[in-house]
Amino acid sequence: MSRFISAAALAAGLMVAASAVKAEDTVRFWYHFDNADNPMSALVEKFEAANPDIKIEAENVPWNSYYDNLYTSIVAGNGPDAAMVKMFAQPRLVEMGALEPIGDRIDAWDGKADLQDNLLDLTKAANEETYYLPVQYVVLYLYYRQDMLEELGLEVPKTCEEFRDVAMKLTRDTDDNGQPDVYGFGFRGGKGGHDHWASLVLSRGVDFEKGSLTSEKGVEGTQFVVDLFQKDKVFPASTPNDGFKEVIGAFKAGKTAMTIHHIGSSNGMVEALGDKVSAAPVPECGGGRWTSFGDESTAVFSSAENKDAAWKWISFLSSQGNNAEFNKATGQLPVTKSDSKEWTLHDKRFVDATVNSLPFAHLLPNVPETSDFVNTVWPVNMQRALTGEITAAEMNAAIDDLYNN
Amino acid sequence: MPSSETPIRRGALARQVLPYALLSPAVLVTLAIVFFPMAQAAWMSLHDYILFKPKEFPFVGLKNFFTAFQDEVFWISLRHTVLWIALTVPAQMLLGLVTALLLNQRFPWRALARALIIIPWALPSVVIALMWVWIYDANYGILNEFLLRMGLLKASIPWLADPDTALYAIILTLTWQGFPFFAVMILAGLQSIPKSYYEAASLDGASAWQQFWYITLPGISGVLITAVLLRTIWVANSIDVIFVMTGGGPGYATYTLPLYAFIKARTNLDFGYGSALAVLFTLMLLGLVIVYLRRTGRATS
Repeated sequence: MSRFISAAALAAGLMVAASAVKAEDTVRFWYHFDNADNPMSALVEKFEAANPDIKIEAENVPWNSYYDNLYTSIVAGNGPDAAMVKMFAQPRLVEMGALEPIGDRIDAWDGKADLQDNLLDLTKAANEETYYLPVQYVVLYLYYRQDMLEELGLEVPKTCEEFRDVAMKLTRDTDDNGQPDVYGFGFRGGKGGHDHWASLVLSRGVDFEKGSLTSEKGVEGTQFVVDLFQKDKVFPASTPNDGFKEVIGAFKAGKTAMTIHHIGSSNGMVEALGDKVSAAPVPECGGGRWTSFGDESTAVFSSAENKDAAWKWISFLSSQGNNAEFNKATGQLPVTKSDSKEWTLHDKRFVDATVNSLPFAHLLPNVPETSDFVNTVWPVNMQRALTGEITAAEMNAAIDDLYNN
Repeated sequence: MPSSETPIRRGALARQVLPYALLSPAVLVTLAIVFFPMAQAAWMSLHDYILFKPKEFPFVGLKNFFTAFQDEVFWISLRHTVLWIALTVPAQMLLGLVTALLLNQRFPWRALARALIIIPWALPSVVIALMWVWIYDANYGILNEFLLRMGLLKASIPWLADPDTALYAIILTLTWQGFPFFAVMILAGLQSIPKSYYEAASLDGASAWQQFWYITLPGISGVLITAVLLRTIWVANSIDVIFVMTGGGPGYATYTLPLYAFIKARTNLDFGYGSALAVLFTLMLLGLVIVYLRRTGRATS
């Protein structure tokens, strides 16, 4: 601990020293791209050519510690001037007083009309202020192996009951060594897997209000997930620790026949599996459907020295053409209507699955507790429930407790 | 040593001041990057300090410490920490001892073997952790593949995803990483034992075991104790391998106290409680640190 703090203090000291010599019209921008083939420099060059008096220092911060670094740097007083941000972080950033309201700037901006409908409403803060400018979006849907379904004469599951049935049939021992080598579904038991859980649980008319998750319906949902792993054994044995890398890797390698993710991984999947992979909206569970809206916006921080320059830069990223370039790099979908019309980066079946999922796409509650839900409370309790250390009811009670006590 | 009242010559004064002057940069840096953050952590542990509420910093006395004693996760983590130290350090020491004894024998390619043995110690922890994650992998891992083919297992075991095996799997990894340290230290100790002792002993008819017990072991005991103390402190504090391999999961199955403090502070941004956990753990380790400092103090004086 003390070693970490001293390292952080040293790093902070160095950063303060470095920022002291910067020109006033420099915009420090933080973003996170998984893609090593980084396009940000081309966008920066284009922007700087059009705005010679502004210099952009764009820094690619690794995703795993993106928000840890963001919060601590803001508190230490050397945060960026603008950054890529997600909705779940907004309540905390608002509480810290770190965000600059940009509603007036957006209203006065000629790019506003080109933004997809509804996106500005989705990213509005709980206090009705606007702090976020959307830059890309995705919706989670079900990936499945078309060839395996056809081989077994199965249909794409439309309800949770069908989903369970199909997953059990897809779980097979194809090489007769006594244990399955293909599993029905790749469930993400580690950090980030709440999206999978939510599609199978929150669809039942359950939410995070007091007593909702702990109700019979709520517990039934989590029990359904736990049973799929423990009784039906349709998830791989490594599920409790599996993160993004493992889940996507297993699907590409043919170890799993279905999983849930968004269009961002579709090109990689097509590269690995070709026409064998397809997509559909998540199944209807307990009478409703719920899928995650994957948001990504940019924001200007209240500590920015030159807010006009920072705004110019982030609005540049959400404008026609530039937004397309940006999303080609991230593999997600553009927020501008004009770029969406000419979008050819993804195969149509994945764009269709995304669009068809939009009507029941939701965000997690816009409250500070959601950060802890995503980062620790959900993963720890899901893992304990999957490994039988606690019951489904205890898991839901822990989440209820986080949001309501 | 403060200067006396009597007038002293400039040369003598310089001789007295010089060591302090030369030491002061190191001392100042240590104060700034070790003792200042330590004091800060102790100070934070007495407050409710949530990083995303930077304006609130109320003094709460020992509340965080009492919370810890009633916190289930604190006790789980403490139990894991004790297991972690009690298994890893002796295992590393025994493996290191055996390795050192082997490397002390004469055989062709001994120099090469001595160089190779240091590899686990020289690799970065993150590389080791990722490597072992793959070894343990339930679908592709070589360990499962090996055991299945040998017929020792019926079905592959998800070593890191099963709460009953996860901690032990990581302990094995850390043992592998740390044993070269013991091997090298003990080898150095072995070579400082005069050959004539063994010659005299064999003349007196001492068996190999008696030679080991009465000459080798006493000869390396000083090195051994220092190495064990150092390693215990390092192993107790190390979270990098656990963090990369499981992040503490599944559930709390691989939480140790330093990891819990780190997650509380860094991920939950609860620096007050995180600091309290760190302070508690520091107090527990303090006993060991004192023993170590006394030994080094005695050795130099």
